[in-house]
Amino acid sequence: MARANNRTGRMPSGHSAGGSRLAARDLRLAYDKRVVVDGLSIDVPDGGFTIVVGPNACGKSTLLKALSRTLKPASGQVLLDGEPIDSYRSKAVARQLAMLPQSPIAPEAITVRDLVGRGRYPHQHLLQQWSHEDELAVADALSSTGCADLSERYVAELSGGQRQRVWIAMILAQQTDLLLLDEPTTFLDIAHQYEVLELCARLHSDGRTLVAVLHDLNQAARYASNLVVMKEGRIVASGLPGDILTADLVESVFGLPCVIIPDPVTGTPMVVPRAAPHP
Amino acid sequence: MTGAASTDAPARPHPSTLRIGVWLSMPVRPRSLLIGGILVVALIVTGVLTLTLGTLGIALGDIVPTLRGERQGRDEIVLTAFRGPRLVVGLAAGAALAVSGALFQTVTRNPLGSPDVIGLTSGASAGAAAFGLLWPGLLPLPVGALLGAFLAMALVFFGTGTGFSSPSRILLIGIGVSAMSLAFVQWVLVRAGREQATVLATYLNGSLAARDWNHATTIWAAIVILIPCALLLSRRLQLIEMGDEQADALGARSSAARALSISVAIGLATAAVSVAGPIAFIALVAPQIARRLSRSAGPNILASALMGAFLLSLADLLTQQLPLDVTLPVGVLTAILGGIYLGVLLFAQWKKGTL
Ligand SMILES: Nc1ncnc2c1ncn2[C@@H]1O[C@H](COP(=O)(O)OP(=O)(O)OP(=O)(O)O)[C@@H](O)[C@H]1O
Ligand SMILES: [Mg+2]
Repeated sequence: MARANNRTGRMPSGHSAGGSRLAARDLRLAYDKRVVVDGLSIDVPDGGFTIVVGPNACGKSTLLKALSRTLKPASGQVLLDGEPIDSYRSKAVARQLAMLPQSPIAPEAITVRDLVGRGRYPHQHLLQQWSHEDELAVADALSSTGCADLSERYVAELSGGQRQRVWIAMILAQQTDLLLLDEPTTFLDIAHQYEVLELCARLHSDGRTLVAVLHDLNQAARYASNLVVMKEGRIVASGLPGDILTADLVESVFGLPCVIIPDPVTGTPMVVPRAAPHP
Repeated sequence: MTGAASTDAPARPHPSTLRIGVWLSMPVRPRSLLIGGILVVALIVTGVLTLTLGTLGIALGDIVPTLRGERQGRDEIVLTAFRGPRLVVGLAAGAALAVSGALFQTVTRNPLGSPDVIGLTSGASAGAAAFGLLWPGLLPLPVGALLGAFLAMALVFFGTGTGFSSPSRILLIGIGVSAMSLAFVQWVLVRAGREQATVLATYLNGSLAARDWNHATTIWAAIVILIPCALLLSRRLQLIEMGDEQADALGARSSAARALSISVAIGLATAAVSVAGPIAFIALVAPQIARRLSRSAGPNILASALMGAFLLSLADLLTQQLPLDVTLPVGVLTAILGGIYLGVLLFAQWKKGTL
């Protein structure tokens, strides 16, 4: 993981880039009447790799849905380039911002290439359903995720890790600057987890803006240029992992007593749980 | 890492793209074209057989002159009054039912989602029963069926509490509405005398006997308007297959697309039911067979339409020519064929262990 070393050196500059094309103000998010997120504001740093962590059901996926306009806020606003996101046409938003939900559904009988091709929808028109750019974007997305060899296979026949890469290829084919990924590493073995994270890191170093939900704090600390810690629908801390990830924070958010040591490979904070309380 | 290893693998071109100048470019699947071609040939064969077989049949060599209007007498009457309208209505009704089924199956993401299952067809039966036996003479049967279908869909729409936006609720409420409609039909049949019930039974099974050119105009107008609408929606429907969230994130506005598709599907199914009665299984089976043959995802609107037209005209040909002592309504035959197909499907899934 030589890349990880290089990246830690660059982190501060990545974070201090300044602008925020994507931001949210005073969000209140609810399903029917049940409020899940309340009074949340966030600025997603441009060109940064923002990683959202927090306990199950604290509203991480809900926040991502609101940021990608798939969930309408009960109140408050999501801003894209300074304008309310619902003032844009849906396809125009989808040309700027791509989102991979926590559990996407693979249609029956679809090949990898066709699935990835569906990411081109926001760039297509009624009469222009398959252009040369579409072709190039799909080929690009397939090769940068290592899926080129899979392109004629059926998605249903792939392993969980291969399928996850195909989904990422689909949103890459969308060719957006902003990428939101909800738990892109779930169901993957540890090597494939790092493979996906390295892919994200590569996109980040190419200048894209990423927001990902992760569960592994050590991975989050390693890769994030901006770590966002959520609890019960609120953001309790955000910033460089090295600045904010303390034993107190982890204990108060996750209820897990721990010590924080430097990651022997990258020097980023590493969470080591204390011995279980029972003998 | 695999990512690095295959970066330079050459990108194979997309199967094929139809380009006309700079303003039109569409992906085309050779396999779908092939299946479409085969189905068109099958349709022509079935049509010719329908016109030529049996004691009333027009001789093969006489078909073209009769179509041109060069023949008078028996052949002309058979073509314009008996088999012609029946065939033309059957083709369009089959296509309408199949496209309706394809739309319902895609928006509910469920292979069982079809006008049969969500209560539209049984609502039509209930309407026909009400105006055929309960208040006879008040309205013609097809109009009664139409009203019944609309009432059933209104019940589904308001019963879900969220309109047509939640697939699972549509299926659940639809099954309930369907059961209630069928119970109503039974009640009307039991209440009515045996003779009247027998008359209605033919209609309730769906029949293409004694169709005229008015029926043909109705159903063809419906498919000429609504199937293009379905085609326009089909790209957004492909995205809905990946889940509403993913579809919305790609800019497909899933709720609106679903509501529009269901309206189109209801329009097609009610048009078919009003000219041919509640014919079972075509809507359920035709899109499934079309999808399996063309091996592609998405609603497969055109392949489904051709398959539905073929299945219904084939079934009607069989009802006309099978050496039975009674003439079955075509709906009984489609139910038998559909039942066999469903059995095969379930058996295949059970063997694969995906049941
Ligand atoms: N579609 C929905 N309808 C109703 N309630 C929902 C829906 N989706 C999520 N919720 C509720 O909202 C709360 C937050 O859910 P959310 O999915 O945002 O959590 P999360 O932080 O992503 O959790 P996880 O780590 O388990 O993915 C949960 O209590 C959940 O039950
Ligand atoms: Mg989640």
